[in-house]
Amino acid sequence: MDKKIKIKDKTCYKNLGLCGFGDGSNSSQVDVLNGKIVRIRPLKFDEKYSPEELNPWKIKARGKVFEPTMKSLIPPHSVAQKKRAYSPNRIKYPLKRVDWDPEGERNPQNRGKSKYVRISWDEATDLIAKEIKRVHQEYGPGTILVQGDGHGSTKAIHGPHGCQTYLLNLLGGYTIQARNADSWEGWYWGAKHVWGRDPVGQGIQANLWKDVAENTEVILYWGCDQETTPWGWSGQQASRLSYFFTELGIESIYICPDLNYGAAVHADKWIPVLPNTDAALQLAIAYVWLTEDLYDKEYIATHTVGFDKFADYVLGKKDGIPKTPKWAAEKCGVPSRTIKALARRWAAKATTIAHGNGGSMVRASYAHEPGRLEVYLLGMQGLGKPGRNQLKMIEWQIFGMNENNPAPRSKLIPNTSGCYNGWAFQMPNQFIPKTLIPDAILSDEPIKFYGTTLCAWPTEDQFVEYTFPQDGVPIHMIWSDAPCWTTCWNGGNKFIEALRSPKIECVVVQHPWLENDCLFADIILPVTTKFEELDFADDNFSGNFNQVLIEEQCIEPLYEAKSDYECVCEVAKKLGLYEEFTKGRTIEDMVKDGWKHSGIAEMVSYEELKEKGYFVIPTADDWEDDPSGFFPFYQDPEANPLGTPSGKLEYYSERLAEFFPDDEEREPTAKWMPYGETHQESLLHPRSEKYPFLIVSNHPRWRVHANLDDISWLREIQTCKVKGPDGYLYEPVWINPVDAEKLGIAHGDIVKVYNDRGWVLGGAYVTQRIIPGTIYQDHGARLDPIVPGESDRGGVNNLICPHNTTSKNCAGEVTSGFLVGVEKVDVTELAKKYPEAFKRKFDPGAGHIFENWVVGGEEE
Amino acid sequence: MKVFVVDVARCNGCYNCQIACKDEHVDNDWAPYAKPQPDIGHFWLGIKETEHGQIPKVKIEYKPILCMHCAEAPCLKAANDNAVYRREDGLVLIDPVKAVGQKQLVEACPYGKIYWNEELQLPQKCTGCAHLLDQGLQPRCVEVCPTNVLRFGEEEEFKDLISQAEVLNPELGLNPRVYYLNLPKLFIGGEVYDSVADECLQGVTVTLTDAAGKTLTTQTDHFGDFWFRRLEPGVYSLKIEMDGCKPYELNSINLDKSLNVGAIALR
Repeated sequence: MDKKIKIKDKTCYKNLGLCGFGDGSNSSQVDVLNGKIVRIRPLKFDEKYSPEELNPWKIKARGKVFEPTMKSLIPPHSVAQKKRAYSPNRIKYPLKRVDWDPEGERNPQNRGKSKYVRISWDEATDLIAKEIKRVHQEYGPGTILVQGDGHGSTKAIHGPHGCQTYLLNLLGGYTIQARNADSWEGWYWGAKHVWGRDPVGQGIQANLWKDVAENTEVILYWGCDQETTPWGWSGQQASRLSYFFTELGIESIYICPDLNYGAAVHADKWIPVLPNTDAALQLAIAYVWLTEDLYDKEYIATHTVGFDKFADYVLGKKDGIPKTPKWAAEKCGVPSRTIKALARRWAAKATTIAHGNGGSMVRASYAHEPGRLEVYLLGMQGLGKPGRNQLKMIEWQIFGMNENNPAPRSKLIPNTSGCYNGWAFQMPNQFIPKTLIPDAILSDEPIKFYGTTLCAWPTEDQFVEYTFPQDGVPIHMIWSDAPCWTTCWNGGNKFIEALRSPKIECVVVQHPWLENDCLFADIILPVTTKFEELDFADDNFSGNFNQVLIEEQCIEPLYEAKSDYECVCEVAKKLGLYEEFTKGRTIEDMVKDGWKHSGIAEMVSYEELKEKGYFVIPTADDWEDDPSGFFPFYQDPEANPLGTPSGKLEYYSERLAEFFPDDEEREPTAKWMPYGETHQESLLHPRSEKYPFLIVSNHPRWRVHANLDDISWLREIQTCKVKGPDGYLYEPVWINPVDAEKLGIAHGDIVKVYNDRGWVLGGAYVTQRIIPGTIYQDHGARLDPIVPGESDRGGVNNLICPHNTTSKNCAGEVTSGFLVGVEKVDVTELAKKYPEAFKRKFDPGAGHIFENWVVGGEEE
Repeated sequence: MKVFVVDVARCNGCYNCQIACKDEHVDNDWAPYAKPQPDIGHFWLGIKETEHGQIPKVKIEYKPILCMHCAEAPCLKAANDNAVYRREDGLVLIDPVKAVGQKQLVEACPYGKIYWNEELQLPQKCTGCAHLLDQGLQPRCVEVCPTNVLRFGEEEEFKDLISQAEVLNPELGLNPRVYYLNLPKLFIGGEVYDSVADECLQGVTVTLTDAAGKTLTTQTDHFGDFWFRRLEPGVYSLKIEMDGCKPYELNSINLDKSLNVGAIALR
């Protein structure tokens, strides 16, 4: 046999994480042969740098060692990512909705129903430029809403989110969709008020791997799935870390309604809890500690304020109801004996709580209550003592901060600010919290809200009342590069109603794939994947070493696609602003600027970086000296105060009492809050007679939010999709065998998940991985509307989650732990009833195809 | 001779191996080693996922299964015109030219790891990424494994591991060259509690006896939980004893799937 066949022409380096902003993860080697991507492999740190240059860290504890790997630990999302470039759902050329006529009838009511016609780049950019000018003249500059944030490929020069803001700034302004504290809801709106932790309300992470390895005896993975949520963000170091903790003899206890993917392989004990009833469980644990004298009274005396008010509530002195294990068992489904055993175990052993974002604990109604209660409990056992902290399995070094890094400290956290063309958090005059976009559009009156000005804003912002429109001018046009309102936000059907409002005269979307909110656009521009672009990147989240990459272009742009940045350049040309917009810089110039400002310019020359393609930043020499987590606060709370007004843990928040004296949903001290004025998403509420199940909707295992739902290789994995009798791949709905039997549902049946906000389909996956009374369906499946604004075939359950926010004064989203009904359906009958939707063609592997939505597309 | 060693104890079920196999072989033509794999439906390396137990004692087992590159490969014998051959390093490959039309090869593999490519009329399977090996690289499944479940190398180098390993379906006598460590088998678990005091019972002795009379003993933990892991299928009896309580017995447990006997109240 011929021993040497050609296996590649070149290798390019790309970070393939899906954070979607400038900072990346999951660095990979992309091999290209004959102009085509042939394979994606882990990056090898030691291929171009010696181990001495990398200064690899070593965590030594209990006779064992944990070290970085010399390859990146990429997830399947990265390995399979070339399929996104070659997806049958790629947008091939600019499109215009067939019945949108800017000179005549705009037919907003047909958004989501009508097809598209092909237009040229010249026509498309003419139309967009003309609409911008017209809207600015008629209504003023603040009336264009930019949806320019969200998750997706991580890019710097090419955006990916918010490039259009720079152009609109040159024209006088815009309204920004202000990023929500999504996946941090409970911490942001709750825990911040207890421990004053900005930016997002989670605990100090510094050097916690070392602390846990040396001191922790029990880890409570509370709603944490480190085998899912970190994948798109940071790869699989969290998995290795969990195996290491188990090897050390640390007991892993999982508290969650579903046997999530972490629990499935790492749990020593699974304690199933009904969705969004964690507060009852937490209160009963406090009750056991208070009544059995199992908490750190000295710490409470020196490190906290307001503890008595909490203790009184727990013991029933305030409301006459002691929060006993029996009281809690009826609410949360955990047997009272298990609650007692858990409470005693926690008190006896150095315990750390691990989180991975997502799940019902931090993303359900009133999430601020379990968020605050967790910190109360950590405080009762001496938060910051060795082995007792809150550990994050995701977002290491986020916001470029060492205090967000539980791994051994790197010599440097690089950044891409020198060439980042995405929106960089400069607030324009007008903004709308992401969760309130439909209200801002649909309401005829100004809307009011308390500050979620931006997700990482200081706690004080939550006490400021804002009004939209700030300038008095409502929204008339939308320009989006992150079309996922329907799939990822609070009450997607409400977003559809807003997108179809006659108040919105023009919707422009730029995106690589014809999916989700694209179907509601009037003009669509085709965008490249990062394989088709030259860019500059870093990798900060992966937990081995930080890296900087020059991302060479792997392949030529497919079809007529251009990058997000280039799309805006094309519009800028039509507005005569190209020079001003680009400042005369070429992409190559920007790559060099990226290097210059990344922090590594002193460590490696541009020429060497270019030649090698990537640079690996060594570990800091003195990382072992860094204090772990809250240890300094534990040691000396006066010298190392928290960010609260008192500098201590606040079991009673004077500020909440002062600013929101009448807020019964978020009182100064956290409490059990199953339902209230804003939400009735509880099995204890009469609404559950009609909708008797709670749905858990984590972040998806096989996607990152709404990204990657077209990868055939993932879709044929048994937990990714369920094949219907019609050959369509439905989004799985986990149902316990007890419930399945009651409902007459068999594994593989197609079911309808419904409530008063609409219905979506799914494929029944009958399993012991979910407790009775609860179902599970990931969020972020691709939209496939049956009746837009009402029903969906793809299984987009965000369409039917509550539109109301976390609570009255907290503009967070509620996307898990809400009430639904479930019933079996006959897809043949549905196909007869809704022929339009069910006759759309699909690829047997990848699903949706571009041609479905293009006039004449079927014939091409 | 080359072998694969698979330690399933560290398999987190990420499917990277299954995906990387597709990334390497779908839509890529590595003739004369292999022709392209179809987009879906082939699992030259496939993860077998098994759910064990009942709430709240549930575990998921993931097992990567690929061509065993058997020393006594039945596909070699079933092939006409030497369409299946063994390389010097021991890997068994299908010649994508000679094997056209030889559908009998699919049936010949008792592990079900030869797939039929309808479009090319070709039987196909794992090549051990021989085209990459010949250039000094690793098989893709091994390279992408984050937790070191999959290893590939010389038999000699893995001697110690192989001595503790098992092969799948040893009764077939095909001498597979893929070795498995820590196959989880089946478990019996449960919980013991005091229903009057409403407390989990720690330190209770639990004894499991198999059909041959061999016993295993364990104590319940702080949650009252007990586990017997890595059991072979068979008939078992279970006894739970504590001083001052009536012993609990469960006989004739026909164990063919992992079993949580549930929460048992001692009186």
